[in-house]
Amino acid sequence: MTLFGFLLALNLGGEGDEELVRRLQARDPEALSDLYDRFGKLAWSVILSIVRDAAIAEDLVQETFLRAWNRANGFEASRGALGPWLLTIARNQAIDHVRSQSYRMDRCVYELDATEHPALFLDMESTILNANYARAIRNAITKLNANQRKVIELAYYEGLSQTEMAERMGQPLGTVKTWVRTALKNLRDELGEAAVA
Amino acid sequence: MNCEEILHEYGAYALGIAEDPERREISEHLARNCPNCVPGVRRAMELVAGLSAAAPAADPPRRLRGRVVALVSPQSGRRFPIAILAPWAVALTLAVALIAVVLPGRLRSGDAAKLAQALSIIGDPAMQDVSFGPPATRGRVFLSPGKGVVLVAAGLPPLDVNKTFELWVIPKTGNPIPAGLFRSQANAAVFVHAGAAPNAAAVAVTIEPEGGSAQPTTTPFIVAKL
Repeated sequence: MTLFGFLLALNLGGEGDEELVRRLQARDPEALSDLYDRFGKLAWSVILSIVRDAAIAEDLVQETFLRAWNRANGFEASRGALGPWLLTIARNQAIDHVRSQSYRMDRCVYELDATEHPALFLDMESTILNANYARAIRNAITKLNANQRKVIELAYYEGLSQTEMAERMGQPLGTVKTWVRTALKNLRDELGEAAVA
Repeated sequence: MNCEEILHEYGAYALGIAEDPERREISEHLARNCPNCVPGVRRAMELVAGLSAAAPAADPPRRLRGRVVALVSPQSGRRFPIAILAPWAVALTLAVALIAVVLPGRLRSGDAAKLAQALSIIGDPAMQDVSFGPPATRGRVFLSPGKGVVLVAAGLPPLDVNKTFELWVIPKTGNPIPAGLFRSQANAAVFVHAGAAPNAAAVAVTIEPEGGSAQPTTTPFIVAKL
């Protein structure tokens, strides 16, 4: 089972992102509870799928929500997409952990923090966390060829750089870069068609 | 590089797997609010965030909600579990870091990860270290140009609830580079910033509004010249 079932059951009604962000910015402790109730399971699922250890995942989920709490003031309540932002933080926490455990921090010094900048989540479609999108992206992933699917998995779940992927797969760097680029383009094209259909 | 030369790396950037020089170039384009790169990276971020929907669903343990809520509960005395670690002395940091590497299962995993980063920084042959203070705030900074910064500080000033400490790497030329936010417990902290810090002339700490600032807005109360 994937998150699809959960997303179907997710109550997307009620208080909107904007009001929740405002309460986080007002340092309302209840807002953190509500944020967890809305995205806790998603964050847990993402982190667990990357670190594959429940005890570690618990710590990282806690760190994810603390980070969101501490950085909510930088978020533009009326335009920011709260869910995608939180899940990006969650994935980054997990990838940072995986990289540090494998002592790859020195080889892959890319600071994931940069991808958490609230400006990157302005006017983003919040529908990427709804059930239809989940179904579409799962379907799109199945249509990738084996190499494209592999590089997406190595990137998303292990945080391997393209150089590391090339080493792991025994392929030239240029080939791996092409696979990553093509995989993402195919996913986007497939999702675009799904949106039209 | 111009936008045409880096647009094919937007996806890799969003995935956190891009490498220099493209990574650096995209970061610079984003920093100057490039009208091509900002929307391009944003679309890539949307796709990457959407990939989370494909992760296998799992139910978190019930106690986890309580742990998260307790982070900011007025009744909780433990609000910042990772950012501050504990007021250890340098020797203890090294010792515990070693334990974290040898016996990672004995420590909380997040702490172990931070401590492994600290050990990597402190163990770097290129590491520079410098003491600062007293009389007020005192401590020591360890900086590895390729790996990051470890700050050990005591006698930190009190913080208002809506304020935070912000670490800065001051390059030999150019503006201060933000290197993370932290708070203190018992007026002391060990803070680890993992990330390259090349050409650093100093490390500084300021008090900033919650969420941090892009550039310092107050006078540094710690300046450790390298």
